[in-house]
Amino acid sequence: MWEKLANIDRRWIYGLMIFVIALALIKPVGLAIVPSDATKAAYDAIAALPSGSIVWLGCEFSSGGITELMPALKSIIRQGFRKDLRFVAAGMWEMAGDMADQAFSLVPAEFPDKKYGVDYVNLGWRSGGDVLLQKYLTSVSDAAQGRDHYQASLDTLPLMSEFTSLKQAAMCVIFCTGTPGETAYIAHVTGPNNIPLVESCISVSVPGIMPYVQAGQVKALIPGMKGAAEYEVLVEMPGPAVAGMDAQSFSHALIILFMILGNIGYYATRGKKA
Amino acid sequence: MEATVGTWLQALFTILLISIVFKDNPAYRFAEHTYVGLYAGYTVALQYFNYIRPNVMDTVLAKKQYIFLIPIIIGLLMYTRYFKPIAWLARYTISFNLGIGTGYVLSKDMKPFFVDQIRATFLPLWGVADWWKLVSNWIFVIGVVTSLIYFLFTLQKKGVQGHVSMVGRIVMMVAFGAAFGNTVMARVALFLGRMQFLLIDWLKIVKA
Repeated sequence: MWEKLANIDRRWIYGLMIFVIALALIKPVGLAIVPSDATKAAYDAIAALPSGSIVWLGCEFSSGGITELMPALKSIIRQGFRKDLRFVAAGMWEMAGDMADQAFSLVPAEFPDKKYGVDYVNLGWRSGGDVLLQKYLTSVSDAAQGRDHYQASLDTLPLMSEFTSLKQAAMCVIFCTGTPGETAYIAHVTGPNNIPLVESCISVSVPGIMPYVQAGQVKALIPGMKGAAEYEVLVEMPGPAVAGMDAQSFSHALIILFMILGNIGYYATRGKKA
Repeated sequence: MEATVGTWLQALFTILLISIVFKDNPAYRFAEHTYVGLYAGYTVALQYFNYIRPNVMDTVLAKKQYIFLIPIIIGLLMYTRYFKPIAWLARYTISFNLGIGTGYVLSKDMKPFFVDQIRATFLPLWGVADWWKLVSNWIFVIGVVTSLIYFLFTLQKKGVQGHVSMVGRIVMMVAFGAAFGNTVMARVALFLGRMQFLLIDWLKIVKA
């Protein structure tokens, strides 16, 4: 019996995981989501910006990061538009434009008075990584090659006549799944130009980013799907992150259970194997 | 109709890709290869419309800014490695990139990722009114110092050095545990996203 416990077939684990997640999604129990200090700090930093400020949205992720980052991105857009902030979205990741497009898709239904080109612009992806960011600091138009994500000329977008350099951003809010990501912003944009940097990252990146938070290089961090769910609660618009937190919690409980069982099996059979 | 076909295709490929966790199978391979091919095609199209066309067609040819031909030529030299007699030319591109990269990193990264990070460890260890902050500062400083001492390989890990190294090792194990926990959370979130798609968008048995 102990041997079986120590060597549970991984397919059982996967099968149970699928079952638990599906069950939690179909029959949620509504576990409480209390915003953490980290997420509140991000919310407060954006709330403190004066109306009309231009916020840079760095969409440094691709489709793999949608589950964890898109809810936070949409929540920040909601928070920003409620207090008349303006957004310029761009990114060093190839899908940046598509991700921003998906996030801004909420605007027509929820904020019909907000107009593309006036209140928000999607510059999309351009090649260059770190060098691209430096180019955005000297001239947004040159860096974006005069066009937005939809290939429209930047001259036709009123917001872009005002926002000519990334230095004019009141804040950079970035959404990252890896490299290039926060290090490029810290080294070239937010650090040298004293622009506050707020980041939403996937859970796996949290330990690696904490030193930058500790050093004050990242003003506030929205950690993974948990942070995104907390942000949805803060903007009073529960969405997919909140809906997924029950499943997230129960799946973690299942993993912990299997770790305990596996360790019990291991210790019970250790002597026999020797 | 278009949306429905798209949703069904997404659902089908999601299931095919998840099937790998139970057993490797041809359906999974088909889905995997399709994704790789699609992403390659997507990237090529994106690179052309967002990078090659505006730079080469508009900037170099239309605006006649021929100075940009220099980096284009340097870049193209990389491909000479596929032609044995002139393969040595690729070394110029590699050397150029290495030189630029090294200089760039040294000039830009030293302050934010070395000096500022060290400075961030200079925390007050007494005279802090908030006791929890004070405890956190002590843990942080002890953690950093002991972890660094662990990597002093020129000293034998005996006596005081051994004990301090052991503390550093424990600190790092805690950090690795936290990293593992976060990794699990991220992977579960990835799967959760697909399950939400299957149950909400495809099967519609859960309300959004």
